[in-house]
Amino acid sequence: MSLLKQAVKWARVKSPWVLHFNTGACNACDIEIIAALTPQYDLERFGVQLKGTPRHADVLLCSGPVTRQIKDRLLRIYEQMAEPKFVVAIGTCACSGGVFKGCYNVLAGIDNVLPVLAYIPGCPASPTAILDGVVKLLRSLESAP
Amino acid sequence: MSDMSQEQAIQTELTAAYPCLQDTVRIQRARRLYAAVPRERIGEVFAFVVRKMDFSMLCAITGLDEGETLGVIYHLARPDGTMLNLSASVPKERPILRSVTGFFPAADAYERELIDLLGFQVEGLGPGPHYPLPDDWPAGQYPLRKDWTAPDQAGPPRQGSENPDV
Amino acid sequence: MSETRSRDVTIPIGPQHPALKEPTSFSVTLSGEKILQVGVRLGYNHRGIEKACESRSFIQSLYLIERVCGICSHSHSSCFVQAVEEIAGLQLPHRAMYLRTIIAELERLHSHLLWLGVAGHEIGFDTLLMYTWRDREIVMDLLAAITGNRVNYGMNTFGGVRRDISPEQKADILKAMDTLEERTKYYISVATEETTLIQRLSGVGVLSHDDAIRLGAVGPTARASNVKRDIRKDDPYAAYDQVPFEVITSDLNDVYGRTLVRVRELMESYKLIRHLLNSLPDGPIAVKAPRKMPAGEAVSRYEAPRGENVHYVRANGSEKPERVKVRAPTLANVQAVAHMLIDRYLADLPIVVAAIDPCFSCTDRLIDLTREGGGRCDVITWGQLHDYSLRWYKKQGMDLSKLNSRFKCGESS
Repeated sequence: MSLLKQAVKWARVKSPWVLHFNTGACNACDIEIIAALTPQYDLERFGVQLKGTPRHADVLLCSGPVTRQIKDRLLRIYEQMAEPKFVVAIGTCACSGGVFKGCYNVLAGIDNVLPVLAYIPGCPASPTAILDGVVKLLRSLESAP
Repeated sequence: MSDMSQEQAIQTELTAAYPCLQDTVRIQRARRLYAAVPRERIGEVFAFVVRKMDFSMLCAITGLDEGETLGVIYHLARPDGTMLNLSASVPKERPILRSVTGFFPAADAYERELIDLLGFQVEGLGPGPHYPLPDDWPAGQYPLRKDWTAPDQAGPPRQGSENPDV
Repeated sequence: MSETRSRDVTIPIGPQHPALKEPTSFSVTLSGEKILQVGVRLGYNHRGIEKACESRSFIQSLYLIERVCGICSHSHSSCFVQAVEEIAGLQLPHRAMYLRTIIAELERLHSHLLWLGVAGHEIGFDTLLMYTWRDREIVMDLLAAITGNRVNYGMNTFGGVRRDISPEQKADILKAMDTLEERTKYYISVATEETTLIQRLSGVGVLSHDDAIRLGAVGPTARASNVKRDIRKDDPYAAYDQVPFEVITSDLNDVYGRTLVRVRELMESYKLIRHLLNSLPDGPIAVKAPRKMPAGEAVSRYEAPRGENVHYVRANGSEKPERVKVRAPTLANVQAVAHMLIDRYLADLPIVVAAIDPCFSCTDRLIDLTREGGGRCDVITWGQLHDYSLRWYKKQGMDLSKLNSRFKCGESS
């Protein structure tokens, strides 16, 4: 199925369910993701719901620079998600490795392992940045011709 | 606080029990003592300070690459906040330590770190998983050794121009 | 270690679990629903920070060390900075010490409020999560206003701090302390009067006083087993030897005790912050530090929200550290968790693990699953275990989801 059709099909799903996965992060981005779901920022008003299992998720929110140990697990999680599925890299570490670039045991960025559709930088990425990134992602997929 | 009487009492008691430590026990500041212990005595000195001098907390174990030798430092503390840091060196070709998990079960993780990252051998430590390295880490690769560099790394970051912060 | 019989089942849990937000592995061996054995596999977060410091300058290492943990970033930053300042023989101005301490206590506030929310979530009391994290935003706003970031503050430098607190910011902080104190009193009343909550948390995750000492527990986990240990009192650093405060303990030895200790520590922190602000000394906020540190070594200890944080630093006269060693508090508590879970129900696992306030990124955690020969093996996610736990307790008559609707009207604006 072409990306176009995928996007159209997904655009009909106005309620993206997200799975959050930490690939070896310091935890700051992860807390900010959870904070984005709490009343002050309220990601849920965009229909975003945090799910516990890959099988229910449309979007994989990934933080962390991908340690060697977690790489296989990350792939396994991604494989368990149903199509269409999208990966968002949250935080500078997930985008490029951040301060951990060059450390042994770190692969420096989610896009070394999975195809990333959106990058949300920041150390940590603030809840407002996460909201902004997710909304832009939703809009760009909705308005795909 | 310039009253070092507690620290001096510890120094006195330790050197009285182990005269070989006479020149190596030092007080760095309040609540901080360091003692370099000959390798063959580290076991009994450890047992003594834990059982007889109330150093009932093992805060951490640091391993170091000293070139020809591997160093280990046991960071012990007393309830009153005083720390005694016992260090010893073992030859790199035979870096053998005895486990202290008999005194401190929590030392398990600290000792596995020494094995994984520096290549120590710890006798008396039961079988267990790697910590902290991944399961598929190649044997014989000890990241914290000075001569080890990651095979496929780009190297340390560019230094660039740095502003001193103050 | 006891023999496991062939009908015992080992259930692997992790490494992906939404509630803990970090990849960790527990390997649980069950007999029916009772836990026989717990193995903990750590290391998923191992990034090689200690090695990286050896090829970075001290100041670069400072920014790296700060990111060991994204909840207690200031604790790692301060612990490291203290060790280096000792090696360099620096005497900090008093104002710098007080500012560093104020940020430390603000961090404790946001961390304990975070924990309260997570604990609520683990037992199905999601309203508590939303309330406490809303209150936590007050603290995050203060931290962002003072330091420029919500986490990873970049507040410390060798020789002092990098930012000052203005009189306007001081007024904002004091006002926030009043608001938060009112809200925390409400949480304390919920924690001490709501019988469902007390029932759910009592007798769970029991750690006796002697076991807490033997297994080397630290922080609120130890203090809830009546082990009166707090580095701020026992081995004072920053400005703690100049301000009055109580070390909070409980003799309940269980998760309920750990809850009470943390909410009461919140109250102590409000007092501490007020005292520090009202007696903030004048003067510079830093002294100049050298680029190359003299040869030497130091051990620094710090009471992070989770417990004792220990850093060892050795310098060799160059501008790069010879060795940096980090022992974060959760590594000390994780042995105790394995012990607390033995002979308990699987449904207790989420809250018992959450109750040590695990910061696995400080420790780097992994979870492995093991197969017992001949036993049936299940792989379930943390989310599934969480739901199982809520269902199991509902069957026992403890349905905390009812609390969610009851507490929506208890709100004070």
